[in-house]
Amino acid sequence: MNTLPPQHPLHRRSVRLATGLIAPALALIWWQSQAAQGGAHAAAFASLGSVGGAARELMAHGSLLSDSLATLRRTFTGLGIGAGLGLTLGIATGTWRGLDRLVSPLLDALRQVPMIGWLPLIGLWLGTGDASQLLVIAMSAFFPSLLNAHAGIAQVERRYLDVAGVLRFSTLQRFRHVLLPAAMPLILTGLTQALAFAWIAAIGTEILTGGGSGLGVTMQMGETQQRLDIILVAITITAALGFAINQALLRLRARLLRWQTTAR
Amino acid sequence: MTAPISADPFLLAGRAAAPLPTPAHGALSIHGLSKAFTIGGQERRILDTIDLSVRPGEFVSIVGASGCGKSTLLRLIVGLDADYSGEIRLDGERISGTSLNRGIIFQDHRLFPWMTMEQNIELALLNTDTPKARRKQIVADHIALVNLTGFEQAYPHQLSGGMAQRAAIARALVTEPRLLLLDEPLGALDALTRVHVQNELQRLWMKQRSSMVMVTHDVEEALYLGDRVIVMAANPGRIRRIVEVDLPHPRDRRSPLLHRLKDEILSELTAAPEDSEAPANLVRLPQREERA
Repeated sequence: MNTLPPQHPLHRRSVRLATGLIAPALALIWWQSQAAQGGAHAAAFASLGSVGGAARELMAHGSLLSDSLATLRRTFTGLGIGAGLGLTLGIATGTWRGLDRLVSPLLDALRQVPMIGWLPLIGLWLGTGDASQLLVIAMSAFFPSLLNAHAGIAQVERRYLDVAGVLRFSTLQRFRHVLLPAAMPLILTGLTQALAFAWIAAIGTEILTGGGSGLGVTMQMGETQQRLDIILVAITITAALGFAINQALLRLRARLLRWQTTAR
Repeated sequence: MTAPISADPFLLAGRAAAPLPTPAHGALSIHGLSKAFTIGGQERRILDTIDLSVRPGEFVSIVGASGCGKSTLLRLIVGLDADYSGEIRLDGERISGTSLNRGIIFQDHRLFPWMTMEQNIELALLNTDTPKARRKQIVADHIALVNLTGFEQAYPHQLSGGMAQRAAIARALVTEPRLLLLDEPLGALDALTRVHVQNELQRLWMKQRSSMVMVTHDVEEALYLGDRVIVMAANPGRIRRIVEVDLPHPRDRRSPLLHRLKDEILSELTAAPEDSEAPANLVRLPQREERA
C-alpha cells in the first residue's frame, strides 16, 4: 500500500482537516435523523435533501450569488470605514496623550451603548436604507479597531524607543520601523474582531431592515414565506463565508507576524 | 609556577604588538556631572559631581555596587536623558540629545524582533550618509566581523543569547561611532559565552579603535578589557577610585597583575562604606609587568 509516513506534513494536514470535519458530520447526521422522524419534527427540521433543493433553486435563480456579494460588499465597505477610522484614531490616541485625554472618555462612554441601542436613533436620522446599514456596520467595526490599535501603540516598550532615539529616527521613521510593527499583533487582533463584528452587523441589519438583497434579507424572506430550507441555505452560506474570511485573515496574520515565536 | 602556552591566537600575536595608534576622535570629558531623581516626592541624588576624561581610543570600565548610578551615567552620555547638571563633552562639543557619534549596547540586545538580523543592522545606517549601494556590503562586513555570517535572515528569537548580543554589537559598530557605551553588555550571558564575547569585544575594539566606556558587575571582565577601571560608590553615585591597568592588549586572563587588581577592587567594593567626603583618588599601579 502506498501510504504517507505519519509525520509527513501532508499527512498531518489531512488529519487536521479530517478532525475538524468530525463535528459538522455528526451534526448533519443528527439533523437528518431528526428530519426523518416526520410529524412535528419535519416542520422544525428540514431534510438535507430539501435544503439542497432550495440551494439549487436559489443558485439557478442567481440570487444566492448576488445575495452573498451584497452582504460581502456591505461588510467590507462598513469595515473599511469603521476599521479605517478606528485604527487611525487608535494610533493617534496611543501616540498623543493629549488627544487621548480629550476624546477617550467620550468614546469609552459611547462604547457602553450596545449596537442595538443605537438603532432607533439611526432609524430616525437616516431611515432604513443603505446609509443606516453602513453606519451600523462601521460603528461595529470601529470600537474593536480603536481599542486594540490604541493599546498596541501605547504598550510599545520604552527600550525599543530608546534604540530609535539612539539611531536618530525621525518621528515618521520611529512610527514606521518601531511603533507600527510593535503594535501590529494587537492591530491585527482588533481587525479580526472588527471583521467578525462587521459580519454580524451586516447580517443583523439586513434582517432588521430587510430591503434590497443580502443573506440576511434572504433569511428574513424565508421566515415570512415559512421556507425553513431557504433559511438554512442562507445560514449555511453565512457560516461558510464567515469561516473562509476568518481563515484568510488568520493566514494574513501568520504571514505578517512570522517574526513572532509561535506558541505551537 | 610556569604559565601554560595560551591557545588564544590573538594572545600569541599580541606579544610582539606595537602600541595601538591613537585615533583622532573620541575624547570624552565629563565635568561636575550630577543627576537627581525625584522618588516619592523626595529628591535623591543618583550621581554626585562626576569628573571623568576618556582619551580617544581608550577602553574604560566602570564597576560599582548596584544603585551607584553607572547605568544612569551611560544614559546621560548617550543623550537619552538631558536632565542633569554639569557638562559632558565629546571632542570638545557639548552633547545635546543623541548622536550617531555615540553608540550604545544594552544588557538586553534590543534587536527589533520584527526584523531579521540583517535588517536590524542595516536599519542603524538609516540616518547616516552612507550611500545606499554600499550599505549591503558594510552590513555584511559587520556581520562577518562578529562571526554571524549565515544567520542574516534569522529573526532575533531564532538566535541564541550570545549571537543576539553579537548582532547588537554589530549594529552599534556599523555606524562607526567615536564613542561606544556598553551597559553591562554581557550581563545576561552564561559564563562560557561571556568569555567568548569578551575576547571578541577586545578584538573588535582593537580593530575599530572607538573609545569605549563599559559598565559591568564583573570586576574580572572590567580589568580584562579596560585600560582603566573606574570604581564607583553608591548613595550618591560617585567615583571612588580609578585603577590604571597597565597591560598591553590583547591580554592574558591569567596575568598575576589582573588577579591582584581584582582582589584589591573586590575588597574595596565589599568593604564598609568609607567617609563620603573622601576625595576620589587615582591609584597608579606598577609598570607593565614582565610576562614569562
